[in-house]
Amino acid sequence: MSSTTPLNTHPHEQPQSDPLPPHLDPQTYPRTTTNPTLNTHIHLTYDPLDPTAALSKISSPNAGANVLFLGTTRNSFEDRPVATLSYTAYPLLALKTLSKIAADAVEKHGLLGVVIGHRLGDVPIGESSIVIAVSAGHRGAAWRAGEEVLELCKEKAEIWKREVFVDGEEEWRANKDRDAEGNLV
Amino acid sequence: MNSINPPTFQIHYFASASSYTGKQTERLAAPLPLSLLFETLESMYPGIGEKVLSSCGVSLGDEYVDVVDDAGVVIGEGDEVAVIPPVSSG
Repeated sequence: MSSTTPLNTHPHEQPQSDPLPPHLDPQTYPRTTTNPTLNTHIHLTYDPLDPTAALSKISSPNAGANVLFLGTTRNSFEDRPVATLSYTAYPLLALKTLSKIAADAVEKHGLLGVVIGHRLGDVPIGESSIVIAVSAGHRGAAWRAGEEVLELCKEKAEIWKREVFVDGEEEWRANKDRDAEGNLV
Repeated sequence: MNSINPPTFQIHYFASASSYTGKQTERLAAPLPLSLLFETLESMYPGIGEKVLSSCGVSLGDEYVDVVDDAGVVIGEGDEVAVIPPVSSG
């Protein structure tokens, strides 16, 4: 077995005696939860996200609309250049939370399928950190559900983003501080 | 190791809680009343209550618990607890 470097290590953090917990070990991923009845698919992975695979999971002859959203890592925060971004998840809670968001969206909007995928670990600038795909009979429900699912993910999913700036400083981000336009709440 | 291991529970730290403690996880002595969790952490990491915990949730197993409202809950041996700071997915 090769050793695994904690993705979360800060330069100023003390070495810890406890072994790396499984939820921080990339080798324990991908972790998925699927509800075949509702056609919902939740996916946490340290690998690049695959939007084509997400769309294929929700494709249906009954669908008239398929909406795909990709959230990508931006190279700045408040005009400060960002060098790297890294995500950490607590899958015990995150998979449960995301499954409920997907199931609630199916029920509320009459969807034919939902995919929520999130990438973990270091995500290079410009690559996708989250994929949302929803399908519905008609476009209105699909557009609305896609946005709603994304906003609920950002509000509730037990996943954290750390931004390391080019100047070496780093910060944990909190979604509750920003609205969908990136403005301070 | 021939010593008897005392009972413990596992506590995970994320984001700001991980930065403040310098740890991602550790074991604490069990049982521990949930109502004493924050003061236990404050004694180990002075200042964490105001700077970190005041904006955090707490989970026990796969459920959220409230350190005030769920005052009767006791964290038992082998339980899994997590400190959940404000989230930032997407």
